[in-house]
Amino acid sequence: MSESKSSASQVQVGQKTYEMPPKDGITIAHFIVVADIERSLRFYETVFGSRVLSRGDSEGAPGYLQLANMWLIVNVGGGPTPDKPKTTLRVPSDPNLVSSFMNIRVADIQACYKLWKSRGAEFITEPKPKYGETRCYIRDPDGYIIEVGQTNPDVTYG
Amino acid sequence: MSQVQVGQKTYEVPPRDGITVARFITVADVERSARFYEKVFGGRILTIGNNEGAPGFIQIANMWLIVYFGGGPTPDKPTVTLSVPADLDYVSSFMNIRVADIQACYELWRSRGAEFLTEPKEKYGETRCYMRDPDGHIIEVGQSKPDFAYG
Repeated sequence: MSESKSSASQVQVGQKTYEMPPKDGITIAHFIVVADIERSLRFYETVFGSRVLSRGDSEGAPGYLQLANMWLIVNVGGGPTPDKPKTTLRVPSDPNLVSSFMNIRVADIQACYKLWKSRGAEFITEPKPKYGETRCYIRDPDGYIIEVGQTNPDVTYG
Repeated sequence: MSQVQVGQKTYEVPPRDGITVARFITVADVERSARFYEKVFGGRILTIGNNEGAPGFIQIANMWLIVYFGGGPTPDKPTVTLSVPADLDYVSSFMNIRVADIQACYELWRSRGAEFLTEPKEKYGETRCYMRDPDGHIIEVGQSKPDFAYG
């Protein structure tokens, strides 16, 4: 579960190096609207050992973290902008109605459950067996669910 | 083989040690979504899943995208219902694709059928536009300005 200690923020797939921001090609991040950037940065840093790359600024730059192969971008919500004229960004209005979430695939779910719980993560339940995997969910400070799942040995992608 | 490396550490799905982070989206049609992410972004379909609960897996750049149908509460999330986006005008979380050349991506992905909300526009620290996937999930495409490390 150790993160790279290098100062650069890079990922490699085969011969291709990914970085943030990319010098060529693309790099994919997961964006969430949060009520308090600093609170969310601390949560993802404390629980998962994410590396905080930027704490954002008061002019609209978001917070950036690197978590394993993924970058996570956190920012406050807001009304429509010229590039999305009908869309409002806000924290989850109904935490029980969900259409997307971060999904952390793990090698040892019992170890992750205990470690992350000891660091303050609030799990909805303990890990439970499900079709092809063992699974549980965390709520982050804004109510986002985060899936934590370990695939059964006989399933390639579960 | 589906692997990613950060420094000395190799990430794969499913991970043999440590963790690998993916993004899950609820979709109405697993195959339609898998084909969309394959065609527009050149994603690699690792599995199309099945109707017994195995989702579709697509690898795009440094990330794995998991697509599956919605459904009611399960024992491990007894109050949560998964559904495709209920109201397209209110969004809390989305896939954010950071790019080196937004004009090139805009033109290429549009030519492959992506529907953008607008052309790329200047914003604080970046140039940005959005598209919708087949279920209405918005996807940000953004290029940071040269003087912004993280825009």
